[in-house]
Amino acid sequence: MTDVIDHDPGADPETAAASRRSVAPWIALAIAVVMIGLVVVLIGATSDGDNVAESPLIGRPAPEATGQLADGTAFDLSRRKGSWVVLNFFTADCVPCIREHPDLIEFNEQQQALGADGAELYSVVVNDTPEDVEAFFDERGGDWPVVYSEFDNFPVAFGVAQVPETWIIDPSGVVQLRFISEVTAEQLNVTLQQFREQYG
Amino acid sequence: MNTKSLNRRLKGWMGWLALIFVVAAALTIGIASTTGPQTPEERIDAISKRVACPVCDGESVFESQNSASIAIRNQVGDLVAENDLGDDQIVAFIETRYGAQVLLVPRASGFDALVWVLPAVALVCGVAGLAVAFRRWRVQADGTLDPTDDDRALVEAALRDQRGSADTK
Amino acid sequence: MIAASLNAALGRAGLLLLLAASVFGAFAVLYGIRQRNPKLLKQGPIYAWLGFGGALLACVMMQRALITRDFSLAYIQQVGSADTPALYNFAAMWSSLEGSILLWVAVLAGFTGAVAWRFRKRTNDVLVGWALIVMFVISACFAMLSFGPADPFAAGAPGVTSGPGPNPLLQNHILVLFHPPILYLGYVGFAVPFAFAIAALVTGRLGEGWLLETRRWALFSWAFLTIGILLGGWWSYEVLGWSGVWAWDPVENASLLPWLTGTAYIHSVLVQERRGMLRVWNLSLLVATFALTILGTFLTRSGVINSVHAFGDGPVGPWLLTYFAITVAVSLALIAWRGDRLRSPGTIDSPISREGAFLANNVIFTVFAFVVLLGTVFPLLVEALQDRQTVVGAPYFDRLSTPIGLVLLFLMGVAPVLPWRKASTELLRDRLFWPAWIGAGALVVAVAVGATGWAPLVAFGLGGFAAGAALRQIVLATRRQGWRGFVGRTNGGMVVHLGVIVIGIALAASNSFTHSATLTLTQNEPVEWGGHTFELVSVDERINDAGSERVVAANVLLDDRQEYRPAVTTYLNIGQDVGTPSVRTGFTKDVYLTLGQGVAPGDTEATIRVFIKPMILWLWIGGAMMAIGTLLAAFPSGRKRNPLDPVSAPIGADQPSMQPSAEPATPAVPPGATEPAPEPETVQVRTT
Repeated sequence: MTDVIDHDPGADPETAAASRRSVAPWIALAIAVVMIGLVVVLIGATSDGDNVAESPLIGRPAPEATGQLADGTAFDLSRRKGSWVVLNFFTADCVPCIREHPDLIEFNEQQQALGADGAELYSVVVNDTPEDVEAFFDERGGDWPVVYSEFDNFPVAFGVAQVPETWIIDPSGVVQLRFISEVTAEQLNVTLQQFREQYG
Repeated sequence: MNTKSLNRRLKGWMGWLALIFVVAAALTIGIASTTGPQTPEERIDAISKRVACPVCDGESVFESQNSASIAIRNQVGDLVAENDLGDDQIVAFIETRYGAQVLLVPRASGFDALVWVLPAVALVCGVAGLAVAFRRWRVQADGTLDPTDDDRALVEAALRDQRGSADTK
Repeated sequence: MIAASLNAALGRAGLLLLLAASVFGAFAVLYGIRQRNPKLLKQGPIYAWLGFGGALLACVMMQRALITRDFSLAYIQQVGSADTPALYNFAAMWSSLEGSILLWVAVLAGFTGAVAWRFRKRTNDVLVGWALIVMFVISACFAMLSFGPADPFAAGAPGVTSGPGPNPLLQNHILVLFHPPILYLGYVGFAVPFAFAIAALVTGRLGEGWLLETRRWALFSWAFLTIGILLGGWWSYEVLGWSGVWAWDPVENASLLPWLTGTAYIHSVLVQERRGMLRVWNLSLLVATFALTILGTFLTRSGVINSVHAFGDGPVGPWLLTYFAITVAVSLALIAWRGDRLRSPGTIDSPISREGAFLANNVIFTVFAFVVLLGTVFPLLVEALQDRQTVVGAPYFDRLSTPIGLVLLFLMGVAPVLPWRKASTELLRDRLFWPAWIGAGALVVAVAVGATGWAPLVAFGLGGFAAGAALRQIVLATRRQGWRGFVGRTNGGMVVHLGVIVIGIALAASNSFTHSATLTLTQNEPVEWGGHTFELVSVDERINDAGSERVVAANVLLDDRQEYRPAVTTYLNIGQDVGTPSVRTGFTKDVYLTLGQGVAPGDTEATIRVFIKPMILWLWIGGAMMAIGTLLAAFPSGRKRNPLDPVSAPIGADQPSMQPSAEPATPAVPPGATEPAPEPETVQVRTT
């Protein structure tokens, strides 16, 4: 007879009982352990609201980056060593950029008031046209230099992800901090002051 | 009758051999004529699909429309146009700028290798589990070939129950 | 003032009604079961309908608030805008976190009400009672979510009189009206079989009764989930402008996960109906499906994983995680407690059998779900253990899902020809011959039209093979039964299979053979590329009446025949640019045009991106086939074999169906009845 037939386990109580020793609780326990692990990981994975972001460049020399200023002269970041440099990456039609602009103006004025110790602020254009950028500055004020770069080499060199971003580079040309999203004048001033004290 | 016997003859070993031949020939032709990306754009696409947009978590630079991705795409286009670097080198270059979190394909080394190993482990466990189950079932089934009288009585009782409950309904 | 407005007051009252009705309903039924008090049990459905009424009231009030632009509500400040067109204003209800939870709650309350209606005459049945309790508890949990942390009726900042409107991506395609509600119907629908599974565990009514009750619920939920996922892909294709349908984004994965376990379930459940086996496994799949919908909601609604589709940081994360933990803990405890009693005495004789194929299918689908889950949460694991950022993206999933998809296609070819219990090689050789030749034919055709690469070619061949097997079943069934050969679960299932195969082949073709180029067009100078000519006619600008949207579009004459308008829409309130692709759809290939940034009206030059993608239309055709197939599968297919009868019993002898209270015996087979019934037109619970 080739066909096999369902049979009642009761007919064979010994083997049935043996193979049927409680398995379910153990499997359930194993799955429970995995699930507890998963839940623990998920509880730990809270998103932080801080706008200070990581970058592989932090603590390392700033990348080679060159561009042109609005008047066509070349801008080479490596030649700005000796003073604190603040780079603000932006696009003219980005809403948070528009919102943070008054704070940048305030920050720039405060730094210029410090004279030679003050940080140099540069706005770096990300994927925008000179016309739009000029219109932006005409409308909203601000007279610090604006850096353009071909194929957006400049922002790409820094790994800029999202406009606006603001980076702080120390006088020896080492990247110190990266902010993602809006910054305030106070935030920039305070952090810069802290860095100055550390830097000695 | 005639068609039936023809059908049967076709299904003999000749028919299957012909099938294997046809499949093998078609696959060989198809795989042999495989070519890589054709236009520079397709190369850019292929590379940008491997790079994650740094802000949109999970979206590739290829899909994403935000300015960071456009900037990276421009950079990739630049490098492809120069034609000095291979695809892997371009991806590596982007990685040095943005960090490992822009790699959409996890590395097959270190902790990240788990993401490749665990699926294989899961598959092996699943197949092994099935094999064990089938073995157990065979052992179980081997003991009994015919239904016993007890079995028949049980079936009868179950059917009676069911009819009984139907009647009372 | 207690609430910001009438809308808020009545909306919150509706939610409170739902919450109260769910809590009271759960206690009433629980107490009724304890006291064996039929009067109390009869109240169960009334609470369910009251709760549904409350949820409906909340939705109506939310709509009223949207229509009247009631900016006293925080939610309207967030998604409302005076100039949103009526349709998108309607859809704005689910365009952000709070509203989408409200929609979820309403669908859940609807399902609770529907379960109560379907089983209103069987309130004395303990199984139904417990299922209702579970539904009430789930409803109460989500009502709490909507009443507390995700309150859609919270008062907004005073003095606001306008808002930005919904996310621009959610107001330029008609599909936003259908995709979320249909997806939610699928997600939430699985709560019903889950509730019955828990009820079966609690009552110890461990037979097939609960399963038969929820067969159609599971099938329809599965179909809605399928359609919802496909509509999401369609929306992505038509709106996002990167020319793809599926990006393995966490939100997409979250919808795929329950679909995978749900698909495994609707296959393996057949083994249980037929042979009384795999009971624990089926329960576990249902639990997994439901738990994964909660987990997916958590992942995408809590800000833990960011994604283009996610609604960002919400306060709902801890709540959803708690619900997930409770679901898993309770289900596991119940299974641990009852599991050994559930184990069935039957055996599966041979791996080469219908049962064997279903088991293989289950292993593959479970591994698939595991891969998707692992890839989705892996970045969190890395962050937790090693404190660094990683991304697991589309290439990873593509690489792993390709072999899985191919194995599934192969199984789809083999499984339908396999008989239950055992198959001989001779029988396989006989039944697989023509399907295999159809597969070979598909492969040859593919090579002839120029397809290359091993993965797509194998996909085409296996697709043809699987289609041949499905067609064989349909042809045999229609020859035997006429039009009835299309209905019933097996035949309808084959139509679904055909739909899946069409989608699989279309995916393989469109993923492997897309060509693209960036073309710079100058006015009135046709450019030829990829066998098509492109000519820029003009670049124009349209601003809508309200002055909130500026559409800059390039009019591109394609093949000297018709103009297409890829565009960039700027939402002036938000300052966001959204590219809108323009697509020529065809049976063999689509031409997909997008407009580059930085084009101004009046320009005589424009940069467009062109994608030529084969077979995209067949994705949607396959989806329609799946939907039709599911309907056919749910259609009662005439005379039924009583699942409790021996296989040899006459089909459909005028017997009433099983009482759900009867613990079914494993179908035993008298000697001489070893030949399995020709096709598994198995079971059908009698509808009252």
